[in-house]
Amino acid sequence: MTLTRTLFLITVSTVVWALPARAQQRDSVEALKRLSLDQLMNVEVMSVALRPQRLFETPSAIQVITQDDIRQSGATSLPEALRLASNLQVAQVDARQWAISARGFNSTTANKLLVLIDGRTVYTPLFSGVFWDVQDVLLSDVDRIEVISGPGATLWGANAVNGVINVITKDAKETGGLLVTGGGGSELRGSGSARYGGEVGAHGNYRIYGKAFSRDPTLLPNGQAAPDGWHMGQGGFRLDWDTPDSNRLSLHGDWYDGRIAQASPGHIAVSGGNVMAKWAHPFSAKSDLTVQAYYERTHRDIPGTFGEDLDIYDIDVQQRAAVHARHNVVWGVGYRLINDRVVNDTTLAFLPPHVARQWFTAFAQDEIALASDRLHVTLGTKIEHNDYTGFEIQPSGRVNWTISPSRMLWAAVSRAVRTPSRIDRELYAPGQPPYVLAGGPGFRSEKELAYELGYRHQQGALVLAFASFYSRYHGLRSLQQVNPPNPTPIVIANGQDGESYGGEATASYRITDDWQVRAGYTELRVHIWPNPGSTDMSRGATESRTPNRQLSLRSSLRLGAQWILDGGFRYLGAIANQQLPAYTELDARVGWQPVAALELSLAGRNLLHQHHAEFGTPTARRGIERGVYGMAQWHF
Amino acid sequence: MAFLTAVTALTSALLLVQSPRASEYQVKAVFLFNFAQFVDWRPMAAQDPRAPLLIGILGDDPFGAILDETVRGERLGERPFEIRRFRQLRDIEGCNILFIGRSENDRVEQILTALAKRPILTVSDGDDFAERGGMIQFVNDKNRIRLRINLEAAQAANVIISSKLLRVAEIVSTPKR
Repeated sequence: MTLTRTLFLITVSTVVWALPARAQQRDSVEALKRLSLDQLMNVEVMSVALRPQRLFETPSAIQVITQDDIRQSGATSLPEALRLASNLQVAQVDARQWAISARGFNSTTANKLLVLIDGRTVYTPLFSGVFWDVQDVLLSDVDRIEVISGPGATLWGANAVNGVINVITKDAKETGGLLVTGGGGSELRGSGSARYGGEVGAHGNYRIYGKAFSRDPTLLPNGQAAPDGWHMGQGGFRLDWDTPDSNRLSLHGDWYDGRIAQASPGHIAVSGGNVMAKWAHPFSAKSDLTVQAYYERTHRDIPGTFGEDLDIYDIDVQQRAAVHARHNVVWGVGYRLINDRVVNDTTLAFLPPHVARQWFTAFAQDEIALASDRLHVTLGTKIEHNDYTGFEIQPSGRVNWTISPSRMLWAAVSRAVRTPSRIDRELYAPGQPPYVLAGGPGFRSEKELAYELGYRHQQGALVLAFASFYSRYHGLRSLQQVNPPNPTPIVIANGQDGESYGGEATASYRITDDWQVRAGYTELRVHIWPNPGSTDMSRGATESRTPNRQLSLRSSLRLGAQWILDGGFRYLGAIANQQLPAYTELDARVGWQPVAALELSLAGRNLLHQHHAEFGTPTARRGIERGVYGMAQWHF
Repeated sequence: MAFLTAVTALTSALLLVQSPRASEYQVKAVFLFNFAQFVDWRPMAAQDPRAPLLIGILGDDPFGAILDETVRGERLGERPFEIRRFRQLRDIEGCNILFIGRSENDRVEQILTALAKRPILTVSDGDDFAERGGMIQFVNDKNRIRLRINLEAAQAANVIISSKLLRVAEIVSTPKR
């Protein structure tokens, strides 16, 4: 139904469209003239030879969180910064755990979102989700965070079923000098960081950084402090070279170590590190080759539950080439090897405890320019081989049509799969036989077919974006009784089907050069049902815990050259299958920059209530408390 | 599996959502137009308030029709904008903003010396223009246009640049010899 409508709209639009090029140029000059100086400096320019006139062309639902957005929001962690993207569902579970997803299917083990930090995949092969407590960066070194809702599997990979988060840090060239930040308050008890950057030789730059923080516990349902306070330290480096012949070489790495309290028996210990090398080689203005390789190690010991040591080796090669005038081709191959050793405890077990698994991937995509560059069709597919299900194919087709330089319409049809992770096949409970939960020997990939339609419009200082979607899922994860009607034992299987649909709208308006307001609204429905023969009657209660709607409003106001005032309001609807009520909250920050080198700020988080809950069933949920902290930042 | 396409296809297109791409000289033309609002020519107060605000181009013109397109129908107060192309240094007359084309790169010092003390905002994207005594230099940095301003040069010619413009620019000075 949605596909038919999409095709109809495209057909109608194509027939109606006709605008002289002259008017188009006039339009874009008029649009540029309405920009503030700051905005004008952010307009990406290109020499005409490279890629002619690519205005507003992204055929997917994307939001970009900039460095300014992060700094002005007062976010102190990656998950807090991700709240700025209204196409994500972000819920703080306790002091360290977050449930983050796009287009539904949220949980602490949400498994349909791909998260990358500088090209490094950070979801764990243990459950295809993200341990958010160990994904940290120096936020002042982040260039931008790109958040795409909807399938990105063709280009990105098997976990990009419902979205991609791409955290991109700045080139070392842009982080010179000494930056020292320190502060603290309630909830964020204390936080400090230092970064130093300089030059290496004539063409290289480097930076090194260190940071540490300590966070307060959340509240138990009875009002007492939960035993989940924690502290962590992290350090890292980055080197970038731009050789005179336009080769680019990057080398970066991070290490972290943290302690997290839990009720018993003893603290959770987390530690790990990664090192990555990346090389980009241009053949010509229209063709380049990128090679990246990284190694990552993580250690997590949760006494009483499990311990894990994981090594990941990953290499990707990608080439971009313009073929004739109309085709822009991107293709690549990748290889990934994991070596995962789990130490099982009494409550659960991963069997076998030690596995080595590998993935081979290849993808190709062709972006075809039609109708004098106003219409682009992008066709591509990814082919992947994994040790659980063999070959998986994930094709997609996208169309974007530039109606005018200020109006863009796009549509997409994609197939995506969520391949099995260790938790789907190898999870047993309790830790020894007889098992109540006896793994998922027959678990296959979950499959999605998604239809999307979006529109963007810029009218002077007003920017509007709208994306709608309909997705159909087959073989979602379920728990099946092995010998019904006996309630146990159970196994993990693909006994559920589902659908999701909704829309995401954003608006941003620059009232004056110094005052910008933004709004984001998402409406979302997820329906999950047992497929024929299935004994899982949960209707997806364990797979998707998501509010039906959410609204965010933000304002950023500069007062003179020294003061900046920010406010962010959010409303999240109730999560029905957790009986979690809707809530509203407000964050605010005031920053004062008396001299260019120093900024002092005072920030309040969750100001409207003494505490509120964002996730969890009535007995399991935690109260997230109001927090106020002060921060000072020097840049020499 | 992490794929790097962020770097190419997506990234390039993604930024458009926030900031549309445009051709380099389209953006520079809009900057030139904007400068008129952020610059005050002190001695001009005595001039006819309806006299055109004149943007001159010296040397090769990289804008084509874009600059004319940009200022068409625009006014600063009651003053309409006018674009004039100059072949030679001695032709320059009544100019408020002068864009010096890259073709004049080799003789920038000579041009600036000849213009010295005249209240003309000099702008160029030539190499080291600001260090060499020009007032505003366009610099391409990662596909974005940055501004470098030589404040001393502007002050010496009684051209007052607004703090709003200075705030987004890098301030440089002429190296002392």
